[in-house]
Amino acid sequence: MSGVVLNKIVKKYGALQVVHGIDLKIDPKEFVVLVGPSGCGKSTTLRMIAGLESITAGTLAVDDRVMNKVAPKDRDVAMVFQNYALYPHLNVADNIAFGLKIRKVPKAEIRQSVQEVAEILGLTDYLARRPSDLSGGQRQRVAMGRAIVRHPKVFLFDEPLSNLDAKLRTQMRAEIKRLHKRLGVTSIYVTHDQVEAMTLADRIVVMNEGRIEQIGTPMELFNNPANRFVAGFIGSPPMNQLHGFLEADDAGPVAQIGRLKVRLPKSEVLENQNGKPVVLGIRPEHVTVDEVPGSFPIRINLDLVETLGSEALLHTDLDGMTFVARVETLGEISHLSGVDTLHVKPDLLKLFDAETGRSLSVDARTGT
Amino acid sequence: MNWNLYSRGDKFFAIVVSILIGMFTVATLYPFIYIAALSFSSGFAAQAGKVVLTPIDATLEAYGYILKDPQFWVSYRNTFIYTIGGTVMSLAFIIPGAYALSRPQLKGRRFFNLFIAFTMWFNAGLIPFFLNMRDLNLLDSMFGIILAFAVNAFNVILLRNFFEAIPKSFEEAARMDGANDFQVLWKVFVPLSKPAIATITLFCIVSRWNGFFWAMVLLQSEDKIPLQVFLRHTISNLSDDDEFAIVQTAAGFSAETVTAAIIVCSIIPVLIVYPFIQKYFEKGILLGGVKE
Repeated sequence: MSGVVLNKIVKKYGALQVVHGIDLKIDPKEFVVLVGPSGCGKSTTLRMIAGLESITAGTLAVDDRVMNKVAPKDRDVAMVFQNYALYPHLNVADNIAFGLKIRKVPKAEIRQSVQEVAEILGLTDYLARRPSDLSGGQRQRVAMGRAIVRHPKVFLFDEPLSNLDAKLRTQMRAEIKRLHKRLGVTSIYVTHDQVEAMTLADRIVVMNEGRIEQIGTPMELFNNPANRFVAGFIGSPPMNQLHGFLEADDAGPVAQIGRLKVRLPKSEVLENQNGKPVVLGIRPEHVTVDEVPGSFPIRINLDLVETLGSEALLHTDLDGMTFVARVETLGEISHLSGVDTLHVKPDLLKLFDAETGRSLSVDARTGT
Repeated sequence: MNWNLYSRGDKFFAIVVSILIGMFTVATLYPFIYIAALSFSSGFAAQAGKVVLTPIDATLEAYGYILKDPQFWVSYRNTFIYTIGGTVMSLAFIIPGAYALSRPQLKGRRFFNLFIAFTMWFNAGLIPFFLNMRDLNLLDSMFGIILAFAVNAFNVILLRNFFEAIPKSFEEAARMDGANDFQVLWKVFVPLSKPAIATITLFCIVSRWNGFFWAMVLLQSEDKIPLQVFLRHTISNLSDDDEFAIVQTAAGFSAETVTAAIIVCSIIPVLIVYPFIQKYFEKGILLGGVKE
């Protein structure tokens, strides 16, 4: 069992190249989420795995079998579509059974499989209904039922929750996660919603302009983004990125961000780089209103307070740059209106090369 | 309708529209009423031009005359054969053809679409078509009539547009489920296209039922002609037949009333079928006009 392997996969539409040589290995039973902005190539990649798009170059293998020229029906993969794609003229049972009927599975077996799937998904009472008589969540479950019933090697999800309202999306997210735990089938999930990616994935693949920016567990991406794009994409609100340049004094390198000086740890990477433009990354969550041991203060002008309940977002101005902090409210926000100083935990700072966007903060977890 | 909510201009517009609709309705309905009234009137009344709206000297003599004519029943049967056979044949060609033309993966799709559309404006003409049918040994052939007019470009394009508007994900989902092209068409596209297919079915039925010109040109045998050609033969025969003129006067019918009776008989099946597919027809005539 060697899962799904993408080796230098390329997709071109005429002269337009939309996927640029992707390498990705997905282990059996793993839940991998492809995430990125619209047009980054994530859905195209998924559709190439499904067989709905041809592969221009590179190889795709599922369990060591090269699938480039194999028809979608023979790949043993099932897909859940963004718009569900339920057949409106068939009831729920017939929708779920469609693939089995096409494959000429005996009727008794089909009936039993449909019943089992309906029980797993809580659809037993709706089997005789048409899709038009179901709610969005129920339709989504039917779409998943249609995928599950065939016991495929791989599940593909193409933004399956994007048509649902926020509350239902949260609920269905948990159901998908539960289902994956129960069935243990390799799953590849495409979304542009980083919250979905963070909550569902064993590993996340961040894509941008047809390339993979970074692959890692949700916490790896959150804590150690490989570049400014990942830092800006993972996390809500995104990481603050403050532009400045490197300096050095007797004690070592310093990042000069406007009036703010941030002491950086000594590192070979930062030696002899005086004047180099850099970007300092500070997660909104790593900022506090009150001083904590080891933190350093930053002076800000408070612009706006957004209340989320237990937390609040402080939109501030730091030397002309926008700076957002996510702070606890403890059920009260009146004390936030006069805030002019925030405190940053230095060990969680990130440093990026302003020109290449790459992370410089392999060991930049100290210093003020 | 609360007239107080309307401006004077709106009221005037509504009145003008109502008058125009009324005139159109009368213009459409009156020929039907007149023909029906004529068919139930006596030959004297018809010849004297007394029939306007209702039957004069009501009689069923004209119907009695045509229903006793074995040729009437032969041509009636033939019309049913041409209508049912022709419609089935048309659907058998049009549905797969429209599906193929709607698929982006069809090589030369643009060319084939243009090729089909071309026939809407240009065709070979009467003589070349006749010669073609002769060379194919399809003259005076019932199968020839059914086959020769099986594909209508307008219907193909109508259904192709409907297929194109069906979301791509239905086809993709069916393919992932293991369906081949044939199964995608019959198990997904055809059930989803019922209104469009009902519409072209109605178009085919009406055009086959009323088919006259080519049947007259291509068929010679009396036992193969459809009702419309029989009607034409009857009209020309009865008007030239002096002997008939004497018989008719005594029997209480005339060439006019017999013709009217045949027309009424030929309309009845369409009148029976139409209400059942009217809802699809109304949807269907808007097809292709609006893309959702």
